[in-house]
Amino acid sequence: MTREPQPDSKKPLPDSAAESPDAKNADAYSANAKRTMCDNGRLDNERLENGSPIRAALKGALAISPLTLAVVPWGILAGSFAIDAGLTPLQSQAMSALVFAGAAQLVALGMIKAGIGLASILITTLLITSRHLLYGMAMRPQVSPLPLKWRLTLGFLLTDELFAIANLGKQRSLDPWFAFGGGFSFYLGWNLATAMGITLGHKIENLDALGLDFAIAATFIAIVVPAVKRPSILVCVLVAMVASVVCALMELQAGLLIASLTGMACGQLYAKLSGEPWRQA
Amino acid sequence: MMIWLTLIAMTAVIFLSRYLFLEPKLPLRLSKNTLQFLGYSAPAVLTAIAAPILFMRGQQLAITYDNSYLICGLVAVLLAYFTRNTLLTVLVSMALFFIIH
Repeated sequence: MTREPQPDSKKPLPDSAAESPDAKNADAYSANAKRTMCDNGRLDNERLENGSPIRAALKGALAISPLTLAVVPWGILAGSFAIDAGLTPLQSQAMSALVFAGAAQLVALGMIKAGIGLASILITTLLITSRHLLYGMAMRPQVSPLPLKWRLTLGFLLTDELFAIANLGKQRSLDPWFAFGGGFSFYLGWNLATAMGITLGHKIENLDALGLDFAIAATFIAIVVPAVKRPSILVCVLVAMVASVVCALMELQAGLLIASLTGMACGQLYAKLSGEPWRQA
Repeated sequence: MMIWLTLIAMTAVIFLSRYLFLEPKLPLRLSKNTLQFLGYSAPAVLTAIAAPILFMRGQQLAITYDNSYLICGLVAVLLAYFTRNTLLTVLVSMALFFIIH
């Protein structure tokens, strides 16, 4: 919550910085910016193409909207499950507002409910969240030159969903306002849905029977399937799928860890054995 | 108190994992193998979370026609593969799920 005001308070800065060169010689600047690797040039060029920061943010919100929609049942589940696991309504909402990571929240709640200790919860959290290291690495060229406030904001908002939309236009430079619009609208959707879950959780007895968890699967399918661009990724996905089901059948607590690492290892092994050329994901 | 500690520790772990490589001062020294291995983390983790939701009912394996999770998950895979349209994939598979479930 403390990070929310930052982007707003910053609004005049990128604007005024961007507008002065635009006004002077927009054409020459735009042509130049297309070639230059300078980050200011990239941002201004992006702004020329997209219009105002607000328009870019709205474009981001629109791009992520299918995933925001899909996260609603999932957020309801997170809210009601938090209450179910013994958290107070304030704690339940704070979890979504601070942690802001659906999969990690649901898994951690299951562990809290089962009375598992903090260390195990954090190790599992670390594993589930380790894919964000990769997202950070992939977005490093675009985000690391930005000012600290932007880095903190976009870092906080960096979910699977935001990465999926921000990475779509990988060839062009990333407009931070586009990413902010996507990430922040998704954040609002997630927290509103959690609030609904906290309220509804009391009232609807068999919320579980509604099958809200299907939304999790649908979202991840919509993200994973288009990402299967090489045979080794298919191997990784199929192995992780089988291994996760086997681990679930064996009721292993570290099932997610084991299944993920097995899938990753098999994917990489396949790539090595088949001599598949490697591109960064 | 334990819950708050858990929430704050989780927030720290997750934020750091998201922010770490966005920090320009961090010297990036990861071997190609590590990067390649990490490249598989997103599909692997997302699949490992989704698959038990689709294939398991309770503690039982449920590869049956009346498992609406599995049927709709399959529909979602086909939609995602053939249309490459996220909105369509999510909307149609979820609508179908809530109708037949």
